[in-house]
Amino acid sequence: MLRRLASLKFTLVGMVLLAGGAALSYGNPAEVSVWVLIVPLALLALNLAAAIVTNPRINRQPGLLVFHICLLATVLLAGLGRLTHLDAHLEIAQNQTFSKDVLLDVRKGPWHSGNLDKVQFIQGAYTVDYSPGLKRGLTHSQVFLPGLGGATVVQDVGDDRPLILERYRFYTTHNKGFAPVLTWLPNQGEPITGRINMPSYPLYDYKQDNSWIPPGTKEEIKFWLQLQTGMTLDESWVLNKQKATGILVVTSDGRRVELEPGDEVPLAHGRLRFENLTTWMGYRVFYDPTIQWLFWVTVVGVFGLTHFFWVKLNLVPWMDEGNEPEGKV
Amino acid sequence: MNVVAEQPWLWAGLGAYLVATLVAMWGVSPRSENSQLVVNKTHEKLVLGFIVLGVLLLTIAIAARWIRIGHGPWISLFELLMSQVWSLGLIFAVLYWKLPGLRPSTVIVLPVMWILGSWVLMLEPGISHFPATYYNVWKWSHVGLGKIFLALLLAGVGLGGVMILRTTERGKIWFRAMPSDAIIDKLAWRMMMLALVFDSLMLIAGAVWAQDAWGRYWAWDSLETSAFLTWIFLAIGLHVRLTYKIKPWVSGAIIIGVFMMAFSTYFGIPYLSPSAHKGMV
Repeated sequence: MLRRLASLKFTLVGMVLLAGGAALSYGNPAEVSVWVLIVPLALLALNLAAAIVTNPRINRQPGLLVFHICLLATVLLAGLGRLTHLDAHLEIAQNQTFSKDVLLDVRKGPWHSGNLDKVQFIQGAYTVDYSPGLKRGLTHSQVFLPGLGGATVVQDVGDDRPLILERYRFYTTHNKGFAPVLTWLPNQGEPITGRINMPSYPLYDYKQDNSWIPPGTKEEIKFWLQLQTGMTLDESWVLNKQKATGILVVTSDGRRVELEPGDEVPLAHGRLRFENLTTWMGYRVFYDPTIQWLFWVTVVGVFGLTHFFWVKLNLVPWMDEGNEPEGKV
Repeated sequence: MNVVAEQPWLWAGLGAYLVATLVAMWGVSPRSENSQLVVNKTHEKLVLGFIVLGVLLLTIAIAARWIRIGHGPWISLFELLMSQVWSLGLIFAVLYWKLPGLRPSTVIVLPVMWILGSWVLMLEPGISHFPATYYNVWKWSHVGLGKIFLALLLAGVGLGGVMILRTTERGKIWFRAMPSDAIIDKLAWRMMMLALVFDSLMLIAGAVWAQDAWGRYWAWDSLETSAFLTWIFLAIGLHVRLTYKIKPWVSGAIIIGVFMMAFSTYFGIPYLSPSAHKGMV
């Protein structure tokens, strides 16, 4: 039974099925089930495990044995990674402290059990370089981390330099922009301060607008942010809050008012103050505890394969007729 | 038409490859069988010399472009093709030098490189934008390993092509100087085995780069899927050869099939799909 399961013909069937599953997954269409990959991978894993145990061609040649064990381990680790992973996004403003409540679009495996509660950082300022034609270059995003003895450590992250805390990896994205900080002083009740994130900048430079309904009212307040950032299409430019100013256009109940930082406007149910202009950065969050293991297992596997080929290729000269049977290299 | 710094060197490099192709073709022709150049195998030295000259000229072309635009040949199809024509020539020159048995297969290998060469001549050498994610050092190993992989596959294609052409009378005459089909088949599959090693390493380096650059090591995007299919086709080919007794021309057809998959991965998918690497930058 085990020998039948280990058959090379079964391997070929599994590989063809896997190729078919991969072809169906081309471009990652949402309507294709992940089972088109899982079923052939499971069949191949069974076949491989059986072959490792029963096939002397594999288990008597150290290099080939290492390669096939690592191949099996890769499949198992990738599966474990999907069961324990977390993928999410977040938008965090300058001077805002990270908490897991800010995560958006969270997708995680059923066995995910990371220490997200222990992740601590405060978002700082950022800059993004742009080449002529508004082509995005390097992002430098400052984050403040708690250091030893209550000290604060500043770290520069961006693009391919993620912030890594408790195995969670935070990657800056193209999604970032400006946010007016507002204080709402209702006619009755306590004042509240918050921010309105405007659409991603400079991608949506032409529509920096948003709206808000104060709690306990039905009055929609519309905001439009007129930005001066020095952005130019023809020359290099750096997106930097320090060099940006903004006027907030507030429209409510048919009335339009322009506010500068510090200005206040009386509305039907209270007063609205434009405190200042800040920025927000969008991060992609990734967690997979298997990635280091995956890396080393695959590297060791390829070195096993290389060792096998090295021994094999050195046994028979490259251009000799040799006495090898058909089908051997 | 504006001629930019790298173009004259590119044309000269491709010209050298063209001369190497013509000399190689002349060398396998039955009309030149009694020529002293062929009898003494001097023509093989000429072929190698022109390939090396082409590589040197293309090195200058790449360097000139690098200086002109400020970054290496990583981004546009023009850069990618120029860089591949260079690396394929370089690695094939080493194989040509070390493995005399494959030399006549140059008449198949160089025309394939000429497909890339003709293609690059039709493209605009405009300045490409260097994305932030391309500063990552893993890019070097990913690209370098990929170049070795493709060159080994191409050498396999040359040998596979010989096995297929030898099913015809004309092919038997052209490749009379080559060893038996059994040896060519063995050599071709050794190339494929080495290609599997470099393909695997390229995928690993690419996954590390993708993790750093885009926050995921594998996402089944078009290019990743296509690269995986190439790897699995190669693995299927190796296992078919282990499982069944296949004829040399079938062996050659399998190798060419794997190469065509790799070719579309390298030169088709990144420029067709918006979600592949180009779209991810």
